[in-house]
Amino acid sequence: MDYVATGGNVKVLAKAIHSLSRIGDELYFEHQDDGLALRTVNSSRSAFASFFLSPLFFQRFHTCPGHTFRCKMPVKSVQSVFKSLSSLEKTVEKCRIEWKPERSQLTFTLHCKHGLLKTHNLSFQDCESLQAVFDKEGCPNVLRAQPRLLVDTVLNFPPSLEEVTVSVSGDRMWLKNHVEDKTDQFKAMMTELCLSSEEFDHFSVSLQTSITFCLKELRGLLVFAESTGLPISVFFDDPGRPVVLSVSDSVLEANFVLATLSEDAHQNNNNNSKRASPPTPADDFMCDDMDSYLIAMETSEIAGASSQKEPQPSSSHGPPMPNHRVFLDSVMEEQQQERDEEEDLERPPNKKFRSLFFGSVSPTPSQVANQTTHSQDVLASDSEDEG
Amino acid sequence: MKFRSKMTDVGCLNHFTRVVNTIAKLNKTCILRLTPDNLYFVLSGKVANGGVSMWCELLQVNFFDEYQIEGVSPDANEICLEVAPDNLSRALKTAQTAKSVKIKLTKKHCPCLTIAAELPSLSSVSRVVTHDIPVEVIPRRLWHDFKEPTMPDFDVSIYLPPLKTMKNVVDRMKNLSNYLVIEANLSGEMNLKIETDLVSVTTHFKDLGNPPWGDDASQSKSQSRDLEAMAYTRVDIRKLQQFLAGQQVNPSKAMCNIVHKRIVHLILLHEDVSLQYFIPAVA
Amino acid sequence: MPLSTQSQQEDQQYVLVATLDNVRNLSNILKAITFKDHAIFNATQNGLKVTVEDSKCLQANAFIQADIFQEFVIKEDSVGFQVNLTVLLDCLTIFGGSTVPGVTTALRMCYSGYGFPLTLFLEEGGVVTVCKINTQEPEEPIDFDFCSTNVTNKVILQSDSLREAFSELDMTSEILQITMSPSEPFFRLSTFGNSGNAHYDYPKDSDMMELFQCTKTQTNRYKMSLLKPSTKALALSCKVSVRTDSRGFLSLQYLVRNDDGQICFVEYYCSPDEEVNDE
Repeated sequence: MDYVATGGNVKVLAKAIHSLSRIGDELYFEHQDDGLALRTVNSSRSAFASFFLSPLFFQRFHTCPGHTFRCKMPVKSVQSVFKSLSSLEKTVEKCRIEWKPERSQLTFTLHCKHGLLKTHNLSFQDCESLQAVFDKEGCPNVLRAQPRLLVDTVLNFPPSLEEVTVSVSGDRMWLKNHVEDKTDQFKAMMTELCLSSEEFDHFSVSLQTSITFCLKELRGLLVFAESTGLPISVFFDDPGRPVVLSVSDSVLEANFVLATLSEDAHQNNNNNSKRASPPTPADDFMCDDMDSYLIAMETSEIAGASSQKEPQPSSSHGPPMPNHRVFLDSVMEEQQQERDEEEDLERPPNKKFRSLFFGSVSPTPSQVANQTTHSQDVLASDSEDEG
Repeated sequence: MKFRSKMTDVGCLNHFTRVVNTIAKLNKTCILRLTPDNLYFVLSGKVANGGVSMWCELLQVNFFDEYQIEGVSPDANEICLEVAPDNLSRALKTAQTAKSVKIKLTKKHCPCLTIAAELPSLSSVSRVVTHDIPVEVIPRRLWHDFKEPTMPDFDVSIYLPPLKTMKNVVDRMKNLSNYLVIEANLSGEMNLKIETDLVSVTTHFKDLGNPPWGDDASQSKSQSRDLEAMAYTRVDIRKLQQFLAGQQVNPSKAMCNIVHKRIVHLILLHEDVSLQYFIPAVA
Repeated sequence: MPLSTQSQQEDQQYVLVATLDNVRNLSNILKAITFKDHAIFNATQNGLKVTVEDSKCLQANAFIQADIFQEFVIKEDSVGFQVNLTVLLDCLTIFGGSTVPGVTTALRMCYSGYGFPLTLFLEEGGVVTVCKINTQEPEEPIDFDFCSTNVTNKVILQSDSLREAFSELDMTSEILQITMSPSEPFFRLSTFGNSGNAHYDYPKDSDMMELFQCTKTQTNRYKMSLLKPSTKALALSCKVSVRTDSRGFLSLQYLVRNDDGQICFVEYYCSPDEEVNDE
């Protein structure tokens, strides 16, 4: 396999890799007749990201018939090839990627100004195909926005914020930070932002719903979308079903599939799930009388004031366990699945997410053959505490 | 107990943001005291704050277009809140392009100071962002901790040099030492000194001028003082650095009062804001 | 200017007095060799040489010629002392090291001889800072015995092109391998890191290559950790000369232009890594 990208597309490729590096640790390369796929999955398997580059993206897209080119390597290694994005734009004229299976190496060669040649020989590992099952077209809600809108929106939230809740009605979208732990709600600043449907290029909501997902991956895709100026489409459904963030043009397509919190977790944490239209912020001077707080404090002294900070008795059994689910699918053998399962068990529990297999559907042979629907590893991860 | 206010002028919003940013650099939490005429940010000199105390006073009418307050009771028309100024600062940061910003006390999952900003948008409908900042309402019986500090009976009072210059010097000195001696006399001279096993550094400022405090009876010590004699205080250099690092308000007057071996009292005056900062001496 | 009005009598006691209108002309070049605290100062009629060493394998020298200073008075053939360089730099930049045109810090540096502190008078905008930095007896710098007659290969590059390579170097590689050769790859930097290997090749006819004098193919390895500090010098310089001698010792000479357009030099010597095993 031999690919050559030139000019601005080298930067696009670099941005894609930087954006993938924000999701997972390993980058999966897979050659397909209709393009090159770059994919990754996060360690808790609650987020999957893929870039698909069509042959037209490349100046040269050469394949050896009969060879399957598929491999993975640490995304950091590939990132190091495209280390400084700023100098890349000014100096790199051409990037060549060659697959050298006999040496288990992928060679990236950057042809730069003044004849400087940078060659990176990176070792790869063989791997199975990494894919996620998702159905964008079946989603009742589809929004499309210019990257700037989402970048400006995300900027309203603190960089440390991990999860955001998005609610939609027929003509509005609300974003709100999601705080899992009840006690943290008394310390954390809660931010809510409301956007009108008019600010979107496309806004079609058939299901008024509220979903919660990780901001990190959205930020990752925004880095890419902003640099290429491509609009971002968001496809989503009920809470618990994955949300798909998508960017495409004539020569590339990116899909980021993110788990969302399941509904039961939602109801415990936010009472805005399924609300038709979140209440507009009370703007009445009379509504916001603080006297009750003060009375509580003055009567019960300090104990009264501090008792407010304690979790409600209803949640005394610990915070609810929200389920992050993503439907990940691999063209893997059963044993591969088992191996993964073992890996998952061996892996030290992620700070926040832990993956669990809680069901699998064996594919019919025909499904495997047509390669569109695959055996379904239904993965779920649950978060235990704020950490 | 109710409070709500609204700002629409960009200049006022920027100015208010700078004041809040300055406060945010000084401590993680502080007291926000609201009265019909003023807003105060207060830090009492508790050990937890390293003995540092602060008093920042803003005239509400210079910032807000609307300002309504209903205090704890008619005879104490005030509200006293504990707030993390960093939250305020972050919330205001997102509101820099806002057409209007409302700040009000609200009853959410807990008492909150809600900042609602109306942001420009790509459509005819504004974007609205609201930040609910948890606050703790301070009961009246604890208010006495947060009264305006009295002016210390200082030995020397002197105008400060440009804060930028002072900041550069203190930043470098902090790399070299943990403690700094600040000394000044009534002839407009001020020195910043550090001394370690490796190096001694003294920066000499002169012609700074000494503010006239008039016949303020409390300032008895400085009346009969030798003009050349230095009064000095040794302080934790980080406390001074914090104060200088946070300075986003360009004061029209900046002064320093020194109580010999006791305390450094820094005062910044702006037409509608005043900030006082007290750094205790270390042995 | 307050500094120049220092009493002449006072100067009598000093064995070394040097003044600068712009302290950045000294502080910048010292930053290029700041990787260890101890710096050996050696002043002669020609100027000031400041040496910093690391583990007997790396030596950096900064040369500030006498004519860079507005005044350079030395009463002995050679004056030597050792100071803490980090402390000295904090003192030299006490006013923040402003880059605003027209705002400069003036310096008067005085030394009375063995056992005395190095005294700095710094002045900016009428504010004066006096620093007294304790000195120690100078150690003897290592003689790397790098002689231009033994130079096997030499290239001179514009610093820009090498700067990019150094900023991208794979730091998981313990060594940096430098290949210089009269034939391809001419001038090559290689790393061998966790994720694989990387080679940066500079052709001899590149516009970035100002001089190419390679007589013999030579491949030497140097510890990455030793070469890393030289990036500071690279960042300041406009040209760099890379030379190796017959023993494989490396000399990097950086040409640094100061705020006033005058030229100073910084030089790094590095001994080769002994464990050479062929790739």
